[in-house]
Amino acid sequence: MLRRLTQISSKQLTRAQSTSTHAAKDKWDLYAGILVERLPVISKTLNPLERQFQDLLSQVEYENSLKSDFELKHERDLVQKELIKQGKVQVDLDDSVTKQTAQDLKDAYKEELKKFQVASRTTPDDDAKKLTSTNRCLEDTLYLVIKQKLGEREHFVLPQGLRKDGESMRQTAERVLSERCGKDLQVLFYGNAPVGFHKYKYPSKQRLESVGAKIFFYRASLRAGNVNVEQQTIPYEWLPKETLNKKLNNAYAESIKKFLI
Amino acid sequence: MSLVSVLSRLTLQSSGVASRFLHTTPVLCAEPLKKKKKLDPQIIKQREDRKKKKIEKQIRRLEKNARQLKPVEELEVPLELIDNKAQRERKLTPLGAAQLEQRALLKKQWAHYKHEEKVADFQIIDRLVQSQNKALEELRLESEELYQAAIQVDLKLLPVYVKGPVATPPIKDYVSPDGDYIHQAMKWE
Repeated sequence: MLRRLTQISSKQLTRAQSTSTHAAKDKWDLYAGILVERLPVISKTLNPLERQFQDLLSQVEYENSLKSDFELKHERDLVQKELIKQGKVQVDLDDSVTKQTAQDLKDAYKEELKKFQVASRTTPDDDAKKLTSTNRCLEDTLYLVIKQKLGEREHFVLPQGLRKDGESMRQTAERVLSERCGKDLQVLFYGNAPVGFHKYKYPSKQRLESVGAKIFFYRASLRAGNVNVEQQTIPYEWLPKETLNKKLNNAYAESIKKFLI
Repeated sequence: MSLVSVLSRLTLQSSGVASRFLHTTPVLCAEPLKKKKKLDPQIIKQREDRKKKKIEKQIRRLEKNARQLKPVEELEVPLELIDNKAQRERKLTPLGAAQLEQRALLKKQWAHYKHEEKVADFQIIDRLVQSQNKALEELRLESEELYQAAIQVDLKLLPVYVKGPVATPPIKDYVSPDGDYIHQAMKWE
């Protein structure tokens, strides 16, 4: 069904192209831009209030709980020890060697836990400030920006590219992303509809055919891989929201900000 | 002798036109049917009765157990725990007035904080929806067909699998130690 849809739409698209050129006053170039986000890997660090409230909750939980078997065993052990000290109970040597107290068990468990090393919440790439790595700022969402030539100068922008005839905007977005960032980058597109919009006019010297560019942004989340284009290397960076705005052109950043979470 | 004569006739014919009329059929490989044993009608009746009784017995057993529900073990408190509940209670000193006051205050603060968080979330959702609507409107101005393609449902998107976020990042190439497998499912008649 999908294939049929795209066939139909592509047929209609070519027709639309011819009618629009014939009726156009101001022709705009249509671009697709892709917002690729690396979703957070680890949970946010708790702020002081959250930490305080979590402590309260666990305290209440403890107060409302009943003693476990392990705690009861520990208490019995203590009583037994006391009795032995007072000399009221004879120590059975064979028995005491084999018998493990709750405290012994607890120490053994702790020792075992110590052997297991959890991974650090910060990575080497964090320390090295390696902006091209997706294995950093694990708490935050990272966004992909690449350096692209717009007009005469190069700018850091979200990956974008011109629509070809017969393509829907979603198809353009998919094609552009694989062209700019390589096949290695696996992403999941969120739907057929664009999530954001930005337009700008070309400098007056360059307005030969069209007045400016209209960019339709698509949201996609990173599944695996990283930017990897054979032959040429393009500068790219994975940035969290705060530093993203500083990197981009002001008007462009304003438009982007509207659909960042 | 007759077989030979038949065969010789066959070879004569096959040399002519009739070669394609010769077929082997499965019947040639079959053996004659066994003679059907005649059963005593009384034995047949006995057998049927036995079958009927068996089914009736099954039905009776099912009816007897119909009211009896399969117990859900996880929902039943073990008797042992009910018996020594008093032993398991914690003897804690009751909270002072200051502490209660502090806790109440913290809860209020928390409610306020969560409320603000929720409002911020709604604002983000509004902003996203607004942004998308703007983009769609602009697309419609450019071309109705592109707009129609954009509002199609993306059937490939579902089912979508999302993992995380977790407390500590996953350890690369970590082999989880094997646990013991104890099969404990009980059979309930």
